[in-house]
Amino acid sequence: MTEPQPFSPKSVALLEEIRKKYPTGRAALMPALYVAQEEFGWLRPEALKAVAEFLGLPEMTVRSTATFYSMYRHRKAGRNVIRLCTNVSCMVLGAGTLKGVLGNVYGLAPGGTSPDGRFSLEVADCIGACGKGPAMIVNDDLHTGLDAKKILEVLENYK
Amino acid sequence: MILITINGKKIELDGPVTIFEAARRNGIDIPSLCHHPALELWGGCRMCLVEIEKMPRLQTSCTVKAADGMAVYTETPRVVAARKAMLEFLLINHPLQCPTCDKAGECALQDLTVRYGAVAGRFEEGKRTFPENVDDPVIVRNMERCIMCTRCVRMCDGVQGAFAIGVVGRGAGSHVEPFSGGRYNCEYCGNCLNVCPVGAIMSRLHRYTYRPWQMDKTVKTICSFCGVGCTILLEVRGDAIQKVSPAFGKGVNNGLLCGRGMFGYGYAGSPERLKTPLVRKDGKLVPASWDEALALAARRLLEVKAQHGGRAIAGIAGGRCTNEENYAFQKFMRAGLGSNNIDSTARLGLLHAQDLLEGIFGQGAAANVIRGIPHSDAVLVVACDPTRTNPVMGLQVRAASKAGKKVVAIGHAPGLKRHMTHHLSAAFGHEGIALAGLLRELLRQKKALPGENPEFEAAIMGFSELPSPEEVRRLAGVPEAALTQAAEALKDVSTSSIIAGRELAASMDAKRNFMLLAAIGYVLNSRFFLVSEHPNEQGLIDMGCTPDMLPGGRPLALQTFRERCEHEWGARLDPEPGLTLMEMFEQAGGAIRAMYIMGENPAFNLPGRKKIKEALEKKLDFLVVQDIFLTETASLADVVLPSKAWSEKEGTYTNLEKRIQKLAQATGKNHEAGMEDWRILALIGRLAGLGNMPYASASDIIDEIARVSPLHAGLRYEDLEEDGMMWPYKGKPLRMSGGMQPLPAAKAAATLDRREEDTGQTGPALVIEKPLFHSGSLSRHSGALLDIMGGPEAKMAPGTAAGLGICEGGSVKISTAEGEMVLKAKLEKGLPAGAIFAGNNFGDAGALGLFGYELEPGSKTPVPRAEGLEITPL
Amino acid sequence: MTSYLLDVARNRNIEEYEKAGGYQGLGKALFMEPGQVVEEVKKSGLRGRGGAGFPTGMKWMFMASDPKSPRYIVCNADEGEPGTFKDKALIDKNPHVLLEGMAIAGHALMAGLGYIYLRAEYPEERGILEAALKEARAKGYLGENVMGSGKKFDIHVHMGAGAYICGEETALIDSLEGKRGQPRLKPPFPVNSGLWGMPTMVNNVETLSNLPFIMREGALRYAGIGDPSCPGNKLFPVSGHVERPGVYELPMGTPLREIIYEHAGGIKNGKALKAVIPGGISAPVLAPDQIDCPMDFVSVQKAGSMLGSGAVMVFDEDTCIVRVALRTLEFFEHESCGKCTPCREGTGWLKAILERIETKQGHGGDIQLLEDVCRNIAGNTFCPLGDGAASAALGFIRHFREEFTEHIRSGCRYHREQGQAQP
Ligand SMILES: Cc1cc2nc3c(=O)[nH]c(=O)nc-3n(C[C@H](O)[C@H](O)[C@H](O)COP(=O)(O)O)c2cc1C
Ligand code: SF4
Ligand code: SF4
Ligand code: SF4
Ligand code: FES
Ligand code: FES
Repeated sequence: MTEPQPFSPKSVALLEEIRKKYPTGRAALMPALYVAQEEFGWLRPEALKAVAEFLGLPEMTVRSTATFYSMYRHRKAGRNVIRLCTNVSCMVLGAGTLKGVLGNVYGLAPGGTSPDGRFSLEVADCIGACGKGPAMIVNDDLHTGLDAKKILEVLENYK
Repeated sequence: MILITINGKKIELDGPVTIFEAARRNGIDIPSLCHHPALELWGGCRMCLVEIEKMPRLQTSCTVKAADGMAVYTETPRVVAARKAMLEFLLINHPLQCPTCDKAGECALQDLTVRYGAVAGRFEEGKRTFPENVDDPVIVRNMERCIMCTRCVRMCDGVQGAFAIGVVGRGAGSHVEPFSGGRYNCEYCGNCLNVCPVGAIMSRLHRYTYRPWQMDKTVKTICSFCGVGCTILLEVRGDAIQKVSPAFGKGVNNGLLCGRGMFGYGYAGSPERLKTPLVRKDGKLVPASWDEALALAARRLLEVKAQHGGRAIAGIAGGRCTNEENYAFQKFMRAGLGSNNIDSTARLGLLHAQDLLEGIFGQGAAANVIRGIPHSDAVLVVACDPTRTNPVMGLQVRAASKAGKKVVAIGHAPGLKRHMTHHLSAAFGHEGIALAGLLRELLRQKKALPGENPEFEAAIMGFSELPSPEEVRRLAGVPEAALTQAAEALKDVSTSSIIAGRELAASMDAKRNFMLLAAIGYVLNSRFFLVSEHPNEQGLIDMGCTPDMLPGGRPLALQTFRERCEHEWGARLDPEPGLTLMEMFEQAGGAIRAMYIMGENPAFNLPGRKKIKEALEKKLDFLVVQDIFLTETASLADVVLPSKAWSEKEGTYTNLEKRIQKLAQATGKNHEAGMEDWRILALIGRLAGLGNMPYASASDIIDEIARVSPLHAGLRYEDLEEDGMMWPYKGKPLRMSGGMQPLPAAKAAATLDRREEDTGQTGPALVIEKPLFHSGSLSRHSGALLDIMGGPEAKMAPGTAAGLGICEGGSVKISTAEGEMVLKAKLEKGLPAGAIFAGNNFGDAGALGLFGYELEPGSKTPVPRAEGLEITPL
Repeated sequence: MTSYLLDVARNRNIEEYEKAGGYQGLGKALFMEPGQVVEEVKKSGLRGRGGAGFPTGMKWMFMASDPKSPRYIVCNADEGEPGTFKDKALIDKNPHVLLEGMAIAGHALMAGLGYIYLRAEYPEERGILEAALKEARAKGYLGENVMGSGKKFDIHVHMGAGAYICGEETALIDSLEGKRGQPRLKPPFPVNSGLWGMPTMVNNVETLSNLPFIMREGALRYAGIGDPSCPGNKLFPVSGHVERPGVYELPMGTPLREIIYEHAGGIKNGKALKAVIPGGISAPVLAPDQIDCPMDFVSVQKAGSMLGSGAVMVFDEDTCIVRVALRTLEFFEHESCGKCTPCREGTGWLKAILERIETKQGHGGDIQLLEDVCRNIAGNTFCPLGDGAASAALGFIRHFREEFTEHIRSGCRYHREQGQAQP
């Protein structure tokens, strides 16, 4: 009579591990949201519900917290998520031009996804690489010292 | 003592309060938007900024505590400039829709803008826009009007405890939404709407029809739905209720409401209200004049009395009628018709529960203050879900939980899911076993009993064979650890509150259950609360609407009390007690030939429906029904007399704290159709030459009650204070005053029957669900409540459904020895396994119709039974 | 000059770290009573590196005097202040110095558990920290029985999720509890009522990383480094138009000029300096004639700015200040948590005005309006984020008013000259 579990066994194991690190279920929410995002691609309502159920939290509590933070995705994203820093230090080194390049080459606008679903572009606010700017994070990888040529070379490695 | 000055005025404070509060108490008005006394501090809107000497920054007076020696200034040029600036900030994104906004006239933002002067339109860019959201049946959201004060969210999370709405997004894009983004699917208490300072969230019920300045009057009265007796304000225009508003700071509810109270008022203005009396002609009910109907009723009652004697007539009083009406009713029956056959739905449990409790602790044992609940160290909720039956009392349990108190629930209490510290998930009807187990664990874990009452303690210690945790698990399905941990949590509390449901008394084990409850209450120093489903259920008991008790809860059997009444009423009383509720129907056609039913719907609200309908329809010679709707019962009557709705009359209700509170007439001045129930009785009495009811108003009746009932001696209608009066207790508990009496034969009763009791393992069990939004006959006529929950359903856990081959939304046939019914299945996670929940709220699908009953021998309380239950998917 | 924070890349590995004296500070601390450790930190004169420069010893004393338990140590590794990448560098190069620092704090403040709130944009550092934690646990520096003392102390890494405000300590605590990261009312302060209502010490990565040196070498030695009012080494992340951007570990009080021209190699391509932000984007900009200012909390404040995170952002003569200002306000608008009115509404308004100035749609009175709105924000917000936005904006106007006026009159000169893309 058990209910179907929305998470894969691997995610369940991860979630249980996470849950142990905190004295309350609520505190495990942010890491659990990452797990759900990984599993569901983005935080669609079912993902939020699954997290709520796993941690015993009200659904709205989960959604309210999730929408506060910019790293959680509330829309379907491309296969690779680019976070291009355009904050001041990167901007003065030409990050604005790079934004234009991504627009021209991949049809990417900030907050959008390329028509082929390959990339999503988020404009980031300083990713701690100002010493080697302009910089971007693609998925979990940091790339620095970008220019119009290098950024395309780097992105060619993400399919 | 804290001494401060505000604007040079010296102010003494006896405790630490905020500057805002100190100012308010001294008549100094500091503007605020996000602050609300019912809510947690926030400090976000920055409207309440004040200047404090020696502090360089302006401070938010709503969060800063007054400290000795502070010199505060609330309207310096600097302060005023800052407030203007805050208003300007709020207005840059606020649409200027005031002319069409329903909030205009009572909008805090509008008022402050007027107070501090309009701000020049220095903001040139486009305002933030959010489309109006009307996806919900009762709540409209206009998020572009939202000023992000988060009052609504703090209300829903912190006070209502429903966690249904939240702020979505961050910064300037933040707004408030329910999870779905559209429909709320929440508890619909409306409390969020009531604290929104602007017009961002509002009730749809009065959309475009409510303008505060167009209201003719605001009438403070008491809600008509349940036994909590919340104070509400009716906004009236013409002869219609336009809106229910909260009265913060007043009443047992301090401004909080539930969905029924907030949105359910529509029934009073329903087009389905009875407009004229009806009489049965050629088997059909047809409209008649008052004269004709009253004369007919008087004549037929007299005939039955002449032919069969007064004892052949039975009367059922109504828990939605006022004290005055119920008093007049039993007087009419007793003194006029000469019958003690008077009863009510209090017989379904409350009466027995109260009798048992008062039998041990003395009268007034359950007369305790609801708002005191969160102040006790622990709350024990037994066999009920107060958040459903008495929602605002439920909020006090949630408040206790929020304050970190222990909350232990025995039995199914879904509304406390997030608010209880311990759950003893006893199977339905087996809560008593869990109580017994809990008592055993408490006695085992506690070092010593209070020592207050040695005789009572001896009785407690004398209980034999209280079940071990292992047995409780086996018999009632409560995990052992849950039981021992709950006892552990409770054992050292110094005060506690116990809230008990009527199912505990509607049981063959009622005596045992209450002896156990009393023992636990004694051990934990508890105050008791009995849930009560009708607004004046307590009044039924206090007014003598029982076969064996006179007004004031005085036994009919005692000659002194009889004489007192005889003297006042000018008639001789039958010393023999009459028949109880179910007996009346059982003996219809035999000993009972006629019935008089006032504001009650037994053809729907009682188990054994088939037989009751048959009795009403075929076995009686004559049936009179007073009601505001043509109910299942009224449609079987020979004479139907339309009465007034609660908003149309004066009188009093007694809530479950035994607080007597005044109703006020708000509408119906010109409502020719209905009459107060007492007036109808008085007219029939006069026509029939029965009884002596020379009343001109409810207050005349109160005066008589005060003369007749020792319990109400000295009570005067005019004296009822702002928040009513706990008469005669005035908030003092009586429980320790008399010597506590162990129930007779308690020892034997408390011994558990060791037969393997059915723990629900053997098959599905049918349970009457008590939804938050409906309570029965009235709520069915409230459009808003129907929009929220439109029809009946059979709820069960997905696992239960799977076991029975039922899927979400599918049709399920439920049949019992009493009948059958087809409902739509609704699967809900977390419901107890094996239980099928069906409500008794909708006309053709009242699940009580599937129940027969058995009478508890002593009290004649019907114990519902669903024999031969079969559940089949269609 | 001793470098004890970044020192050398080899410190990443625990054996190397031990060889260089690692975990000796913790060993010493464990031999002392918790109160003595607090006393030692007080004597060192250490001031918090998270931005406000509050004396760490004093903050510790507040917590030490609260008896409630359990108690928590939280490392603020949210490093969200644009231009700042010192904590990242420190974790990259020397994760154990942070772990040791936290363990010392745990002992001193009688906490059994610590969390590192690491910003979401640092996934690599998460890996580094997790690996270092494993090493430290294996060697008994963390865990049930820290260095055989019978004391328990362990650390979990908690990833942020992209919200600058979560660097503010009370917002951080709410975020760690799984809530929207909005600042809490103070009092009560985290030292009395932090995580789950219990005494909690929130310290910056760099602050905590100073502790091993203080314990190992003694408070007096530490107090002798750099400026006596704010002793010790400070990490200065330098970015923008310099020849050698990067993080420099220098004594507190090193003059800004020295940092830019000696350590960072001067302005890129031999151009002239136009402006410099001395402490991350919230710090008001300084003009070239102010760079002789020593980089310590007091002196930078005297110069009309703040040391903040110590992030030095250098702009050469070809930089459009209006655009920098606009990007700054875009940042603040995006990161305003929305709790209080002036910041939530005001930052967006400032951004809107700057946007029209930058796109040549500004008009007379706009500068005045900017200043007005800034003044209406400053001092009236719930937390310092809003204040920071206002003072940063005012800083740009104060030093570059002409440039704003020129923008309104004839648009952006740099734009025209270089054909730069719109921000
Ligand atoms: C808006 C805002 C952002 C902050 N961001 C950070 C940050 O990223 N890292 C940090 O260590 N402190 C940050 N702080 C300071 C913290 O609130 C807190 O003062 C600091 O973590 C205390 O550590 P310390 O005593 O070691 O300096 C921020 C403060 C504010 C108001
Ligand atoms: S109506 Fe009540 S339950 Fe529903 S969102 Fe509002 S406060 Fe919450
Ligand atoms: S909807 Fe109303 S109560 Fe809720 S945050 Fe907005 S303005 Fe405040
Ligand atoms: S100043 Fe106000 S809105 Fe801005 S980040 Fe702080 S609390 Fe949030
Ligand atoms: S400004 Fe781009 S990484 Fe810091
Ligand atoms: S009323 Fe005080 S800040 Fe809103």
